[in-house]
Amino acid sequence: MIADLARLTWTFLWLSLICVGGGLAVVPEMQRQAVERFHWMTAREFLDGYTLSQLTPGPGMLVVVFVGYRAHGLAGALLAGTAMFLPTSALTALIARHWATLRHRPWAMAIEQALQPIGLGLMAAGVYTLARAGIHDAPSAGIATLAGLVLWTQRVPAMVVVLAAGAIGWLMAL
Amino acid sequence: MPHVRLSRIVRVFAWTGLTSVGGGRYAFLYDAVVVRRRWVRTEEFVQDLTICQLLPGSTFGNLAVALGTRLGGGRGAFWGAVALILPGALILLGLAALYLRRGFAPTVVHAMHGMAAAVVGLVFATTMTIAPASLRGGRALLIAAAMFVLVGPLRVHTALAILLVAPVSLWLYRPQPPAP
Repeated sequence: MIADLARLTWTFLWLSLICVGGGLAVVPEMQRQAVERFHWMTAREFLDGYTLSQLTPGPGMLVVVFVGYRAHGLAGALLAGTAMFLPTSALTALIARHWATLRHRPWAMAIEQALQPIGLGLMAAGVYTLARAGIHDAPSAGIATLAGLVLWTQRVPAMVVVLAAGAIGWLMAL
Repeated sequence: MPHVRLSRIVRVFAWTGLTSVGGGRYAFLYDAVVVRRRWVRTEEFVQDLTICQLLPGSTFGNLAVALGTRLGGGRGAFWGAVALILPGALILLGLAALYLRRGFAPTVVHAMHGMAAAVVGLVFATTMTIAPASLRGGRALLIAAAMFVLVGPLRVHTALAILLVAPVSLWLYRPQPPAP
């Protein structure tokens, strides 16, 4: 039990450290660890948990609370959340105090530029991974395409589009 | 530097955390501390946002820490982040317990499948919105495409992919010596 909790904490700790460029970047790896490696949950449960975390307020990375809870109950949720948020927050606090003086050095600017396309590539891979789990037939592909186009081209609150898609799914018994 | 009372930071960050859903959540913090209260200037906010996107971890959580540092030092950072993260964590925990203990009724599951498909569209749209600013020039496209192919279709471990690609990217973006 203790070993399981330690493994869970360690997993979310290193996931938080490779989470560069926003939460989406780490979704493919988190799914791989939670579903395929440790069998904490099914791919369907992971996608449902990710969807829930996008619909509930607060950081999107709170999905780790869902995964931790599914794996080892309340202790798992607490450890997963702490491992995901505490070390990176401490690092941010440290850097926030000093970056203002560092960011004009040539290497600091190079790092800023070099990490941006990496973060974006990871985000695109996150879209790919979520699409493989969430799109399984023509109606879901249609909803995803329509939602993507509307949100990309119009200034509509994301929540409105997601809720409308939920209503469509409910009506079509997707 | 403005020094805001800790209780106000906690109240504003908690409310912002509770009213932010979907992609691009940092927009809600921008509205709260730049537009509505003028605690932070736009360029300061953008600076913090860039750093937070570069640092590992949740951008939204990191941003609470960075802005909290500006507004109230170490204590502002700690309590600001807790106020932003904790309420949503408790709500999600409740929903997770409900979902995993008794499952959801079939109608709810159908609705969730529809919403899951829309979230795929949402993350696609968020990626496409950010892409133009992050992908200037051929080398950026190359690096982003390499990361996508490695981690997406080829299913290479994300940490390994970063270790492989980051040195190449850093070399491509290495500081140029000043022209003689």
